[in-house]
Amino acid sequence: MNLTQEKDRQARARASAGAGYLLLAGGLIVLPWFIPNYQRVFAAEILVWGLFALSFAIVYGVGGMLSFAQAVFFGMGCWGFNFATYYLQLNTWGAIAAAILAAVLFAIPTGFLATRARQHHFLIVTVIISVLVHTVLASGHYRWVAGPYVTRAMTFVPEVPLGFTSLSFRSEFVSYYFTLALVALAVSAAWLIVNSPFGKALRAVRDNETRSSLIGLNVNRLRFLMFVAATAFAGLAGALYALVARYTDLEFFNWTYSGKAVVWAVVGGVHSLIGPFFGTAFYMIASEYLSQYFEQFVVVFGVILLIVIRYAPEGLWGLIVRQSVGRSRR
Amino acid sequence: MELLLILAMNGLVFGLIVALIALGLSIIFGLLDIINVAHGDFFMVGTVLAWVIVTATGNYWAAFLIVPILGLLLGAVIERGILRPIEDSPALSIVAAFGLSLILQEGVRATFGATPKRILDPIGLTIPVLNLRYEVYRLFAAGIAVLAIAGFFLFLHHTKFGTWMRAVRQDREMATAMGVPANRVFVVTFALGTAMAMLGGVVAAPITSVEFRLGLDVLPLCFIAVIVGGLGNLPGTAAAAVLLAVMEGVITSFAAPTTARIVSLLLMSIVLLLRPQGLFAKAGR
Repeated sequence: MNLTQEKDRQARARASAGAGYLLLAGGLIVLPWFIPNYQRVFAAEILVWGLFALSFAIVYGVGGMLSFAQAVFFGMGCWGFNFATYYLQLNTWGAIAAAILAAVLFAIPTGFLATRARQHHFLIVTVIISVLVHTVLASGHYRWVAGPYVTRAMTFVPEVPLGFTSLSFRSEFVSYYFTLALVALAVSAAWLIVNSPFGKALRAVRDNETRSSLIGLNVNRLRFLMFVAATAFAGLAGALYALVARYTDLEFFNWTYSGKAVVWAVVGGVHSLIGPFFGTAFYMIASEYLSQYFEQFVVVFGVILLIVIRYAPEGLWGLIVRQSVGRSRR
Repeated sequence: MELLLILAMNGLVFGLIVALIALGLSIIFGLLDIINVAHGDFFMVGTVLAWVIVTATGNYWAAFLIVPILGLLLGAVIERGILRPIEDSPALSIVAAFGLSLILQEGVRATFGATPKRILDPIGLTIPVLNLRYEVYRLFAAGIAVLAIAGFFLFLHHTKFGTWMRAVRQDREMATAMGVPANRVFVVTFALGTAMAMLGGVVAAPITSVEFRLGLDVLPLCFIAVIVGGLGNLPGTAAAAVLLAVMEGVITSFAAPTTARIVSLLLMSIVLLLRPQGLFAKAGR
């Protein structure tokens, strides 16, 4: 293949990818008009959990850190949201900011500890952080640590002040579009981070730490910054969950929830920003409709995970992209 | 005083069982270079199988014979079928182990049910300890765990296969060049690790409740033991497991169990920060 043909092929692949993303965005925008009310909220929840999976995908796919602590930061987001709403009496924007802040502030000491550890130690440290936080919160002896802001059902319908008007979450359309808008913003931010020089440096660290430190990259600092940055997405997801479901739970802190993020992101594909959403949607839709017929659907999903790891390590979304690019080549 | 003694003894018994499980985790890590997050679930499957065998045959002792053999088979199949094809990527292997953990947990929930069950004390005798009575079964359980651990170390240091295992762990390529069948060593190691966790499950079944979430409680304990003892340091791991469990037992005598667990977790964090090679590592290792 000569150079012109190669460039031509790349241009066509880019065009088809662009068309695909436009189609996807358009589909997400018109989606709520074609589904009943409760499914609009369900779709919003998929977006929220997808954002949670994305926060893992960034840490793992770009940073090479297999973190089992993402759930803690999702939970911190829920906690921060509740704390700001009930204790500080902030409005929705303030509560969302507080949620992200809570996750990030908690990520600074824990991330400092964890990112110093390598590979297997890192994994174990993240599990231990989760277990520690969950144990403390679940014990009841330490209620003063988190106050009554962990497990909480929202007693009112949240409102989003926009200056000229105010959006009420009474409408499922608001739930969906508000979530979609913030998730789209978050994905754009993630795209900027991943494709920035910082993201590229981190990928270099992931692929070869020794070489990266020899060319002058500060390995520990890069890993730490990425860890903290990713927790902001988990915190935002926690806040959005509190808004959409109007309910938060202690169990969100449990590392089994981090495991869910791992599964969703890996099945969908950790090397793209769409993959985690795809994996989450696949899991949630399948479990919603298949669990009626087969209660322990999760077993099937475990098998799907093993098959994906074995035959499509780039994930299902990666598989779709590869197939469609392959088609446009012909 | 009696309470302290009883709690410390309970800690010792449980610590020995955890040591057995954590040793399995540690040899799998040492050879295959993966953190087996499904290891707690192997333990859980061991307890469940013990329950099934007791219910089916009425004979608890049969479980001691059958379950470890099933463990060897299960471990061998998992290594061959699931982990071998992706051995080049440790991260993917860990995710695969997590998938396995989901399958085991939810599979047990689907078949065995979600409600915790109990196995009656198979010995049913007690001996006097100061003014209290202590279950003989617990002492027996500790004895079995010690025997299994001792047997494992004898196997590792005094048989040809054990020497192969140590050789592959030290330098896989050199060992292969010397004619050690590395692939067979991997299968046997994983099978052994699985069997040890499941034997631990059988031993622990009468003194804990039997349910599908059991692995989630045990796995962090094994992680702590493996970290405090030093990742891949087998005697250190066993010692750390016993030490931590006794410590938790002693703390429980004057504080809430949660506080005891938090102290262990904090201790582990400190060890990880100050001595990442483990508490018992020799200098310059």
